[in-house]
Amino acid sequence: MKLYEYEAKQIFEKHGLVIPKQVAAIEQIEELDDLSLKFPVMVKAMVLIGGRGKAGGIKLCSNIEETRENVEKMFEMKIHGCPVKKILLEKAVDVANEIYMSVTTDPATFDIVIVTSASGGIDIEEVARTHPEKIWKKIIKDNVKDLPDDIAEEAAIFLVEKNADFLTIKDKLSNAIRSLYNAFQQVEAKICEINPLIVTKDNSVIAADAKIVLDDNSLYRQAPLLKSINIDPRSKRHDVSEQTVYEEQAYKIGFPYLDLIEHPEDFVKDKDKLYVGLVPGGAGYGIFSIDEVVNIGNRYFEGKVIPINFMDSGGGPSLIKVADMFHLLMDHPATDIIITSRFGGISSCDIFIRGLIMSLRDRFMSKKRMIPVFGRMVGTDLAAARAYLEKAKRETPEPLKDLHIVIGNQKIMADVIRDGIDYGFKVKKQLIEKEVN
Amino acid sequence: MSTEKISVDQGLLYYLIKQVRPDLAEKISKAETIETMIVGLGRQGTRHAQLMMEYGTNVTCGVAPGRGGTKVHETIPIYETAAEAVENHPNIAVASIWKHYSTAKDSTIEVIKAGIPIVVLISEFIPLRDVRDILVEARKHKTILFGGNTPGIIFPPESIKVGMLPDIFQAQQVDDIVGPKGVTILSRSGAILYHLSDALASAGISQNGVLGVGGDGAIGSRFIDLVSLVMNFEHTDLVVIAGEIGGMQEEILAQDMISHPEKYTKPLVAMISGANAPEGKTMGHAGAVIAPGQRYGTYNSKREILEKAEVTVVNHQKDLIDVVKSKLNKTYFEIEDYYKKMKEKWNAKPPEPTWGTLVTNVMPNNLLIRGYPLQEVIANKGLLETSHLLVTGEFPNLEKIEELEKIAKEAAKEKFSERLDISPNSDVSKIIGTCLLLDSHISEFMKKSTDESAIIAFSLGRALRYLAIIFDNLEVLNQISIDNISFADMIYLGLVGEEKQEKQKTRLLEAIITACVDHGVTPPSAQATLILASTRTSFEVALSAGIQAITDVHGGAGQKAAEFFLSVVEKAKENNIDLEEATFRIMKEIIKTGKRIEGLGHRIHTRDPRRDVLWNLSEKAGYAKECVTVSKLVSDVFFRVRGMNLPINVDGVIGAIIADMDINPKLAKAVFVFGRIAGLGAHYYEEVTTQSPMRRLAFDKAVYKGPSIREIK
Repeated sequence: MKLYEYEAKQIFEKHGLVIPKQVAAIEQIEELDDLSLKFPVMVKAMVLIGGRGKAGGIKLCSNIEETRENVEKMFEMKIHGCPVKKILLEKAVDVANEIYMSVTTDPATFDIVIVTSASGGIDIEEVARTHPEKIWKKIIKDNVKDLPDDIAEEAAIFLVEKNADFLTIKDKLSNAIRSLYNAFQQVEAKICEINPLIVTKDNSVIAADAKIVLDDNSLYRQAPLLKSINIDPRSKRHDVSEQTVYEEQAYKIGFPYLDLIEHPEDFVKDKDKLYVGLVPGGAGYGIFSIDEVVNIGNRYFEGKVIPINFMDSGGGPSLIKVADMFHLLMDHPATDIIITSRFGGISSCDIFIRGLIMSLRDRFMSKKRMIPVFGRMVGTDLAAARAYLEKAKRETPEPLKDLHIVIGNQKIMADVIRDGIDYGFKVKKQLIEKEVN
Repeated sequence: MSTEKISVDQGLLYYLIKQVRPDLAEKISKAETIETMIVGLGRQGTRHAQLMMEYGTNVTCGVAPGRGGTKVHETIPIYETAAEAVENHPNIAVASIWKHYSTAKDSTIEVIKAGIPIVVLISEFIPLRDVRDILVEARKHKTILFGGNTPGIIFPPESIKVGMLPDIFQAQQVDDIVGPKGVTILSRSGAILYHLSDALASAGISQNGVLGVGGDGAIGSRFIDLVSLVMNFEHTDLVVIAGEIGGMQEEILAQDMISHPEKYTKPLVAMISGANAPEGKTMGHAGAVIAPGQRYGTYNSKREILEKAEVTVVNHQKDLIDVVKSKLNKTYFEIEDYYKKMKEKWNAKPPEPTWGTLVTNVMPNNLLIRGYPLQEVIANKGLLETSHLLVTGEFPNLEKIEELEKIAKEAAKEKFSERLDISPNSDVSKIIGTCLLLDSHISEFMKKSTDESAIIAFSLGRALRYLAIIFDNLEVLNQISIDNISFADMIYLGLVGEEKQEKQKTRLLEAIITACVDHGVTPPSAQATLILASTRTSFEVALSAGIQAITDVHGGAGQKAAEFFLSVVEKAKENNIDLEEATFRIMKEIIKTGKRIEGLGHRIHTRDPRRDVLWNLSEKAGYAKECVTVSKLVSDVFFRVRGMNLPINVDGVIGAIIADMDINPKLAKAVFVFGRIAGLGAHYYEEVTTQSPMRRLAFDKAVYKGPSIREIK
């Protein structure tokens, strides 16, 4: 979970870093009237995405008119698709030098890695590629809770070597590294980054920007931290971008779901194309099944097949959750056909088929839209699942007439997908003919 | 050699163990089995332990804090800690961890520290900081760590799986003999593993090992740690990795292949998912997210560098099949056979849920107590020895017998604090059940001792005291010194009131009681005790419930049977007719009134295994008189009356002997209740130590899992 800059700064401050004085984080322009501003002031759009500065989301304002104008503009702005709902006003600081400092996770070994550079304020990955000598990097192999003094010292010495002006503030720099590291460990972050860490003319060391990405898996035990920044510890904040209605619905029910087509609510379908909803099993096959549908579409159906969603229906979902997964895709206006795969490892074929049949019966009886379902089930509890499916088809054939489930691995899934798509096109053609007549 | 599987030291799992723990590998090679353990026995851990065993995995023990000393799936011991488990089972080489993410770290570190070389971490959503702590420890101990968020590992040629993978994988098979060769698959995702194996099997390509490395962002052993390792396994012909967007595992593997091509001795095929994934969105797996701006983690970044390392990259099941087929240019088994085997799975009938008991095996005309035929036990062993056998599985040694004797005798001497108002017509079950509820001595004793056999011996002693109250023999019981009397004599004293009996007489009464100790989990008394045990009531409450289920229709027929036999003998004397004729006349009368003949018929046995041994003992003791004679002909007479075969049951035999011993017929029910305390006690302890609380109890679904038939030495 990403934190907003002003939240991250408050956390850093608690761990001993100096931050610019925050005047307010406002959500409406009217709030400006109640503030007593001292100029110059920094006006910063609070969005959880990078590239803010270039997009005009950071402005230095020297009077109230300028401030008002920029705040107004920013509230109307979308930065890489993210609307600006909050603006931070903070005291501007004078800049003598800019330093880069971060504590993150090494993607190769998963150890903690500390990076600092006397060349701050710019894209650090670019610096790392072009001038690796400008970067100090240290991998912490033992996951210590508090950073040992000698490592903080080593980092500070590196910075002093790069810029002799830092000699007088060496202790401040090693303290900053230590604070950042300790904050990283204590809030259980994935990323803690300050870029730039500013050295002012009077030799103060101030975090002018701040980035914290928390580890979602540890949020449950970070309740005090989350409460301190007004986040309900039980519901993680959805970041990145705005959710579609279906993403929001899935999020509430509690399974990972993404729409692959933009604006699915008011999206116009291409009549020639087949839109495939996916209930694929676990996350890995969730990703792969999208590729499979595209690949099969390209090879055998002239590229006319569009997968509409990602879903992770693995991990042993309950009956109700399985039913909700199918309801969601049958309520989705884009869906022409649903392709599903249940390869029961931890999850049970039996619960899966019961949930699926429950959703079909519910929809049939409440006269909701029915979508053909094609798929296969293999693995845990297959025998019980088959028995249930056969019984259900005998008892209530009508709602299940368009349910086509291959039992066992008599066909590989790629072939089931191909059959499903083929069937989907046939049904679609019939529907179009019906409409024409 | 078995054609079902290869010997473990030919397989990939053994090879992996040998790389990190050569000493342990040597021991495994000798023992010819790889021992595994389960850490975390919640719903999933327990269920998959069962599925693993069904597949062929040797699940040696489990670890669950707070449940040490109990068992799972009736026979698998549970320990408090991993260290304790390893101490008791030093050959354990693989552990699977099924804990919740909030407790996974401590358990995993404990397992690693215990020295187990292969750890399969099923748990997902483990906090990153915890994962780093786990990794620090794993590196220190050179542990091969699969996961977190792994579906597990499976080795089809050895028939070993650790984790929750479905049973769809296929080993090499030539002329019905399983072989160790094939491809090895490593995957970040569970379902992909299955789909890959499935696809390869459909083309006749076997898997000798399928390894889930885990879907989380930070995991234990990575592709770079494992790929060259498994390539060096002689029976691996090709390696498939299934990667996906996010992270840089595939990239660092490719980089290593470029820098150290000599380490990679076999062909590698990479199936990478996420060619059509949107940027910046996490796709289920915490690790599967394309971070904007990064130069790694995308489908293209992975594909490019893998291809630079001369790895074939595919993104479609059919392509995978084609590429692997062309690289190997052979098949490892008959595809037809594979589909035949799979067809059996998809056509299989849903299995009935069963559970196990190790106490008594009830078969028509045979009763095995922990494997020993009950008639042998009755003939050769005393009540306390039998009750010890019931609860512990073995007979006690001499020292233990003495200890149990002393406990039981002392228990019988301790005063009962309540004053009971017992009318001569009170029901024995009701009184003993009530006494158990009111008596605080048993719970006091349990504060001093946790020895289950001792607790049951103590309860038998207490029950003897209640019986002495009922049969008005308390005074003589109080007077006797326990130093001068055996428990068997004391029973005779408490029940009959006579001291200094001939050995054979006391022995006969003890044998009758021993004959009643148990009849498995289905009699109503056992069911009542088990239901209460499943809710974890205290021992004496569950015992009381079981005893109160003993009525005229269950276990209480002996008294009525005794009365019947006595009436036959009386009639014969009165009318001066023979016993058979007297039996015939009385039986006809009884049947005319619509009543049943007590002591006849059994729902399982046509010849009750307890019958002959009791008849023989009664003869030896000189108590095979008229009633026993009647009991031997009653079944034939019944046929003469009704034209139906109805065998005499144990109640009938006991009733006849009691009647011939000229003691109170009410004792026939009392001995049944008394003896059954031993069996009910054993069932109580089996339930609380091997089953989860408040489980769904399906009595008719119990399966006997104890020892087969054995002889008393």
